[in-house]
Amino acid sequence: MTDTTKTGGCQCGAVRFRISGRLGRPSICHCRMCQKQFGGFFSALVTTPEEGMEWTRGEPSYFQSSVNIERGFCSNCGTPMTYRHPGGLELAIGTFDDRSDLAPLIQ
Amino acid sequence: MTAEADRSGGCQCGAVRYHVKGELGYPHLCHCRMCQKAAGNYFMPLAAVMRSDFTLTRGAPKWFQSSDLVRRGFCGDCGTPLFYDIPETDFINLTLGSLDDPDAVKPVMQSNTGRKMSRFHTLDGLPLEPQPETPDRENAIAASNHQHPDHDTKSWPLGESS
Repeated sequence: MTDTTKTGGCQCGAVRFRISGRLGRPSICHCRMCQKQFGGFFSALVTTPEEGMEWTRGEPSYFQSSVNIERGFCSNCGTPMTYRHPGGLELAIGTFDDRSDLAPLIQ
Repeated sequence: MTAEADRSGGCQCGAVRYHVKGELGYPHLCHCRMCQKAAGNYFMPLAAVMRSDFTLTRGAPKWFQSSDLVRRGFCGDCGTPLFYDIPETDFINLTLGSLDDPDAVKPVMQSNTGRKMSRFHTLDGLPLEPQPETPDRENAIAASNHQHPDHDTKSWPLGESS
């Protein structure tokens, strides 16, 4: 979708990331697990490239919500940040500094 | 509009659980950038309950002081955003997605729309992902689901006695 460098992080800034490369398809998910992780009505996630994703400050803490799924958040401020499944790592769109080119394409 | 009932809710892992009685006031969607960020999302759905009608029934949240006026409560074990709190007031706001039955509370208002996600109105029209060809992945998740169920439990973690 986009091939530029993008940055983002949690609300307090203890966890920050930078991504170089092409992001995957932005989507929203209405499953009860995502609703609960985000305390909201759905999650909005985008797949990160296999290479080019780095944590530039701190790292998330993780909750293993089921056998293959880890959900990351900032342990200092709580911002939900990541959804990791066997096929890759997805980032919460709300954590990006610039979200203008991350329109969800599917639900 | 308010919703009146006894309600429970909590975080994803179940380390923090709460109970509210009486009215849930002003269910609304806040689109401010601080709520977006705290939620990792496009908005934060919130409703208020009087402190006298609010009880933590398991554990306690961690707090992040997002400004001098407001602190935000979340589960320190799994991160679920739970509360938006102005300590000097006699009410506390809770995230609607953390309720055991979020669909039972109808939002009545939107607030702070200056940073509202520009495509918000298009979300419900997005195409639907096809169903998976096999239920294997869903079955594996269901068999190992570590999420607290959407009802109160006598003990935690689950497996001891739910």
